[in-house]
Amino acid sequence: MRLGRLSVRYVLFAALLLLSVLLFSGCGVFSSPQNTFAPEGEVAKMQRDLFVIVMIPALLIMIGVFAAMIYIVVRFRRRSDSDPIPEQVHGNTRLELTWTILPTILLIGIAVPTLWGVIKLGNQPGAEALHVTVVGSQWQWTYEYTDAEFLDANGDPLITTEFYIPVDRDIALEIEALDVLHSFWIPKIAGKTDAVPGRSNDMWFRADSPGTYAGQCAEFCGIGHPQMKAELIALEPGEFEAWAQEQMSGEPGGDGAETPESPTASP
Amino acid sequence: MAGAALEPRPTSVAEALRAARRQAGTYNGIWSWIATVDHKRIGMMYGGTAFLFFLIGGIEALVMRLQLATPNGTIVDADQFNRLFTMHGTTMVFLVVMPLSAAFFNLLIPLMIGARDVAFPRLNAFSYWVFLSGGLFIMSSFLTGNPNGTIFEGHLGAPDAGWFGYAPLTLPQYSGGHGVDYWALGLVILGVSSMAGGFNFAVTIINMRAPGMTLFKMPLFVWMTLVTSFLIIFAMPVITVGLFELLFDRLFNANFFNVQAGGTPLLWQHMFWLFGHPEVYILILPAMGIVSEVLPTFSRKPLFGYPFVVFSGVAIGFMSWGVWAHHMYTTGLGSIANSAFGISTILIAIPTGIKIFNWLGTLWGGSISMKTPLMFSLGFIAMFTIGGLTGVTHSVVPSDYQQQDTYYVVAHFHQVLFGGALFGLFSGIYYWFPKFTGKMLNEKIGQLHFWLMFAGFNLTFQPMMILGLLGMPRRISTYSDGYGWGFWNMMATVGAFMIAASILTFIINVVVSMRSKERAGNDPWDARTLEWTIPSPPPAYNFAEIPVVTALDDFWHKKYIEKESGVVVPAMAGAANGEEHHGDGHGIHLPSPSYWPFVAALGPVIMAFGFIYDFALVPAGAVILLIGIYAWALEPATEPE
Repeated sequence: MRLGRLSVRYVLFAALLLLSVLLFSGCGVFSSPQNTFAPEGEVAKMQRDLFVIVMIPALLIMIGVFAAMIYIVVRFRRRSDSDPIPEQVHGNTRLELTWTILPTILLIGIAVPTLWGVIKLGNQPGAEALHVTVVGSQWQWTYEYTDAEFLDANGDPLITTEFYIPVDRDIALEIEALDVLHSFWIPKIAGKTDAVPGRSNDMWFRADSPGTYAGQCAEFCGIGHPQMKAELIALEPGEFEAWAQEQMSGEPGGDGAETPESPTASP
Repeated sequence: MAGAALEPRPTSVAEALRAARRQAGTYNGIWSWIATVDHKRIGMMYGGTAFLFFLIGGIEALVMRLQLATPNGTIVDADQFNRLFTMHGTTMVFLVVMPLSAAFFNLLIPLMIGARDVAFPRLNAFSYWVFLSGGLFIMSSFLTGNPNGTIFEGHLGAPDAGWFGYAPLTLPQYSGGHGVDYWALGLVILGVSSMAGGFNFAVTIINMRAPGMTLFKMPLFVWMTLVTSFLIIFAMPVITVGLFELLFDRLFNANFFNVQAGGTPLLWQHMFWLFGHPEVYILILPAMGIVSEVLPTFSRKPLFGYPFVVFSGVAIGFMSWGVWAHHMYTTGLGSIANSAFGISTILIAIPTGIKIFNWLGTLWGGSISMKTPLMFSLGFIAMFTIGGLTGVTHSVVPSDYQQQDTYYVVAHFHQVLFGGALFGLFSGIYYWFPKFTGKMLNEKIGQLHFWLMFAGFNLTFQPMMILGLLGMPRRISTYSDGYGWGFWNMMATVGAFMIAASILTFIINVVVSMRSKERAGNDPWDARTLEWTIPSPPPAYNFAEIPVVTALDDFWHKKYIEKESGVVVPAMAGAANGEEHHGDGHGIHLPSPSYWPFVAALGPVIMAFGFIYDFALVPAGAVILLIGIYAWALEPATEPE
């Protein structure tokens, strides 16, 4: 029994340690090109912050419940079979009210930033944003740059299979699918939005600094699902303009499945 | 107390007992199991069958864990992996946790409410046989479900579109072969079984309680079974409609989910989760009921705040209908819908929290005996707390856009369904094993089982939380080196094999314990509810005389007298026997055994094979079903004289 209780404590302690280390991620086993705790864009930062805001009270409650449980089990364990039968307490209305009302208040506290976040992400960015239609199909993503400057003589948009964007500019996406469900996700930049056949889902994000950001399809879409990557390449505005110029001149009326020959800048 | 039921009684009761025994022995050997309508035997068959499916689902999980242990795994290919995770989810939800709960309903409900059987014993047998045939039907997809060939040619059959079966991936143009047909037809069959069970237990609990057992004198497990039964009754039709639409799309070229013809894939998701979220509570509420029985017995105190625990369970039942779209935040429902479902998800945490606090209140001040059943219940509370709190993080819609479809979600729901439901069910197995076998499970091996499973569980699923936050999506058959996920995946795999070792320990425990000569006695735990008043294992007729109930935890109050001051003293010897015999002249009416539920249960599965291979089998199966039902209805019951 004694050993049993000790190991409860060790296991719980280890679990707690793991979870708290997680919050200060960055080292060794906590780094990944898709780490949601190392955001590189406004949206992902906000999502990480909201998670932490909820995770901290959740961890505290967990520690409280575990500590209470261990304390109770140690203090009130039956020492011998001749122990007297304990007082038969059937309940306590005041306590019931307390542990109904307090969590309710706490949960309302969580609801406020949640609603704020939903509304913020639901707002569409202004006209200065770069508009891209992202199309998922088994098993690749294609990107259609639909703003006026990317239209060719026929009025068709620039179509690529690599996703280049300028930094510090809102990117407004319309997410679509050709065949089955997919989900567009660049973890360090923003959470995911599903690509649903027959629908066009909105999403926006913004990258803070130039770089290549890994992502992949997050909705199961068949045997090619693990290979359906989505790489995002953020460039300084000037470099992005140069890339766009090259795309526009090099590929009149791109037909949708061609990969740009050689990107001008690889950060 | 021991042998109370077998003491000499007035002639009429003794006569009735003899008649009941004669009748229960109409068939012998295996036939007595096939024809049985005894809720205890059906319960054991449910439990045994579910456990075998559990081993299959577990092996599927182990193969997947081996595949994912290191980057670029080569144990299985993507196609096989997809079939494995589809079957793992389908098996564990529909063929393991639900039927294990059904096993407990069957074993316990009549005993806890002081009845001789369920309201519709033959329907009950039908439920079991339909469950078995449906389960075997889905499993048989492994053989021939692959469009490229049979399993004997190296092609794993089985559905490949996930246990959630999201359209349009389930349509024939994206999922060839018959895997998904097996899946959809199998779930329809299992739905029939669940519905029959749901109605049976709702009616049994409402109508067949012993005299004096008002609703608020029912054990908490009975309450949770009642809520679960109603959830089943209302949830199963929703998925059945969805499955019919899918089958119409697949078999008859309908276009419910075909976008090119104007169908809408999201319709499936709404229907699936409108069923699916109540389903989560169908899986967890019975375990909550078990924990609410185990804690009072092992702390020798009544359940703290009984009415609050009851009402929070009922509240969870109602609220479970208003949270389904939190599975769909990223599908583009819009800010308003996402906000509404975020808030409803927050709200459902309140009754869940109430339960946890009341369980702690039950332990507080008790005389706590750390036996294996209690250890599993404590494990339940701890793991379910984490499951609940990670559930609250899902209510934060914007951050859920990150966690949706990652291993964080996998970790969360295993925390609820394994750390919660399965730990609770194991607690129940250790607690009631002596009642139904007459043997105690070995305590030392039991403790080993618990610690192995607890450590293995945490080692498997806590790393998955980290994996999810590190951006690892679900349902990928492999990942490459550069993602930094190898370490945590290896840890999870090691943990999974620890869980496997714990299950092996449990099997050894059952074998060792069954061979032991030690008898458990009627009431080995000094328990509180009616099932402990009768012999272990209980006789076919359960109660020689139907008990008269005067209090919640009636048996406890017969054993101990609670003084005004709260001090408790043992009641006088023999007081628990319920000395007054009001048995003059009442017969023991037991349902008579019948083969017909078994025959009827063959019908649906033959029809299902017909839909896949040859429509001619469909009417044949229907005829068998009808013959079974008519014969079962018209068969004369052997009345005890």
